[in-house]
Amino acid sequence: MDLLGAPKRGMFRDFAGTGAAGLPNGCDSISEARFALPAVQDPATFVETHFSPGTYEDNGKRVKFSKGTTTLAFKFKGGVIVSVDSRASQGSYIGSQTVKKVIEINPYLLGTMAGGAADCLFWERNLGMQCRIFELRNKERISVAAASKLLANTMNSYKGMGLSMGTMITGWDKKGPQLYYVDNDGTRLKADENKPYFCVGSGGTFAYGVLDTNWSFDLSDEEAIELGKRAIYHATYRDAYSGGVNNVYHVQENGWVQVYSDDTYKSHDKYSAEREAAANP
Amino acid sequence: MGTEAMFGLTGKDFVILAADGQAAYSIIRLKNDADKIWKVGNMLFACSGPPADTANFMEFIEKNVKLNELRTGIPMSTKAAASFTRNELAHALRKGPFQADLLIGGIDNEGPSLYFMDYLASSEKVNKAAHGYGAMFTLGLMDRYWKPDLTEAEAIDIIKKCIKELETRFIVDLPGFKCKIVSKEGTKDVTL
Amino acid sequence: MSGLMEYNGSAIVAMTGENCVGIAADTRHGIRQLQTVSCNRQKTFQVTDQCFVGLAGLATDVQTLSQLLNFRMKLFTLREERKMQPRMIGNMISSMLYEKRFGPWFTEPVVAGLDDNHKPFVCAFDFIGCLSTAEDFVVSGTTSEQLFGVCESFWRPGMNKDELFETLSQCLLSGVDRDCLAGWGGVVHVITPDEIITKKLKGRMD
Repeated sequence: MDLLGAPKRGMFRDFAGTGAAGLPNGCDSISEARFALPAVQDPATFVETHFSPGTYEDNGKRVKFSKGTTTLAFKFKGGVIVSVDSRASQGSYIGSQTVKKVIEINPYLLGTMAGGAADCLFWERNLGMQCRIFELRNKERISVAAASKLLANTMNSYKGMGLSMGTMITGWDKKGPQLYYVDNDGTRLKADENKPYFCVGSGGTFAYGVLDTNWSFDLSDEEAIELGKRAIYHATYRDAYSGGVNNVYHVQENGWVQVYSDDTYKSHDKYSAEREAAANP
Repeated sequence: MGTEAMFGLTGKDFVILAADGQAAYSIIRLKNDADKIWKVGNMLFACSGPPADTANFMEFIEKNVKLNELRTGIPMSTKAAASFTRNELAHALRKGPFQADLLIGGIDNEGPSLYFMDYLASSEKVNKAAHGYGAMFTLGLMDRYWKPDLTEAEAIDIIKKCIKELETRFIVDLPGFKCKIVSKEGTKDVTL
Repeated sequence: MSGLMEYNGSAIVAMTGENCVGIAADTRHGIRQLQTVSCNRQKTFQVTDQCFVGLAGLATDVQTLSQLLNFRMKLFTLREERKMQPRMIGNMISSMLYEKRFGPWFTEPVVAGLDDNHKPFVCAFDFIGCLSTAEDFVVSGTTSEQLFGVCESFWRPGMNKDELFETLSQCLLSGVDRDCLAGWGGVVHVITPDEIITKKLKGRMD
């Protein structure tokens, strides 16, 4: 079990995520994980029924989580565009309008956040740590494929324990721009060849509509950024659980740059004025 | 809300409606070419829900709108028809409800109008409307492309975009989309 | 119950001022998280020249009840040849709601009006007709908790019609900024002895 040359059993006991079942550092049962588990017969089922978020409501569970989101990322000739909203809702209450849903794992890797905010934040930070360790050991940057696989492995080891995370991992490695989808079921998908994009979250279907009709690989940087903004705007308009600020990132060969960050309120003014102007005389 | 798609738009001097052709029982597809867009007087009613409820309710509405016209000699305006339909649906709600989601399109002295109505009988005059899971995929698109005074060609193009989107993103393969237009000249089928 | 009250989403607030009273509501018509149907839903209804009723809750019942209310108001004017006072309207709504005790209208109304002595009157109900009056403000809808908070801070006695408009607007807009299910624009009516000032609010569209 020393696949990645990870330290021997016990060394990483204090770092969550390296201690769950089947993970490289050698801890081989859930009971050895760092997280204290509830003292009941079947901890996984207990946790799943009491502490896991539903899609919109908390299904009568006692703990409320942040969720309700629109995030999207697409590849094009100039790299990858990542565009997200910034609303955190707890039930129908808006907990925050200024959440950073793009997680800057390191200067070359970006992760997005949908589902439980705490879960995403924690495990993507944890992924950042794993990636850094890889870099130190191997004297080269981790590929996006491998990074996303690390996260998927972590998700797999906590499967059925109520984690909630729908994320896109993007970056630029030796093979060029990359985009992967990873979720709490342990699903890991590489972006399509002919439609290389994902929309994740409650507003995703609305964003897909815009992306599916307007995306092309040959978009210029400006057009791509505009498409990212457009798709998020239409999702925030129709989806009650998305809104706030639109953050757009551009993944380039030399790392990511944040290219836009502004209130969706302004997008509405802009696009509705354009629509009026476009009306047939 | 079922695995159906039904949507519509208002244009310059017409209303366009589209609906899938699936009639399902449990997980079985009973019919591929169902016509869910009813011609009621000089209006179009798109109705989705369990086939029994929709047929029952729509026949009732259709006949009563006709009866009203025969009695009064005046064809119902779209607003009146929507109001009448809402009332019937709302009264039924607390007895034996019809699970019928509707889009009502028509043209009268007030111009073209499209009414959105859900099975709970809340109704609203809108420019773009959709029902069923299909709504989640098509509303974003319609918002993106709709503008005041759409021409027929532009509207048909939006409908085509919506159907294409459902084919690419919706995991259920909805068969036999039908599309109809109501204008001053009456109603007509659109071949997509 | 709460499921139906949150099905469509709404925010309504009514406030008293000095010889004036106001009511404000959002304009979203949504179907839970699934979609936003429109952004110009009517949720406040003028019942007399000096009185408005706001209806929060299930959209279908809001429509039905507003029509029923309209009918009852007209019937009263025909029979009695006089205007109904806001307090009386409140009592009528209360009994209309309780009438349906075992198959209720899923709506929580708010009444705002001036009586013949220009005294402001606001009151609110639960969905089976328990009437509660207030000297300052009443709130209703999915945003009620947020509205309580802002109104508690910003309401003060003796506001004139302009101050009342400003306070109502700011409270409504701040309130719906913390509610997923309401917003997308708003409308404010301020009732004074000589005029009714109605203004549309431009709100966040997300």
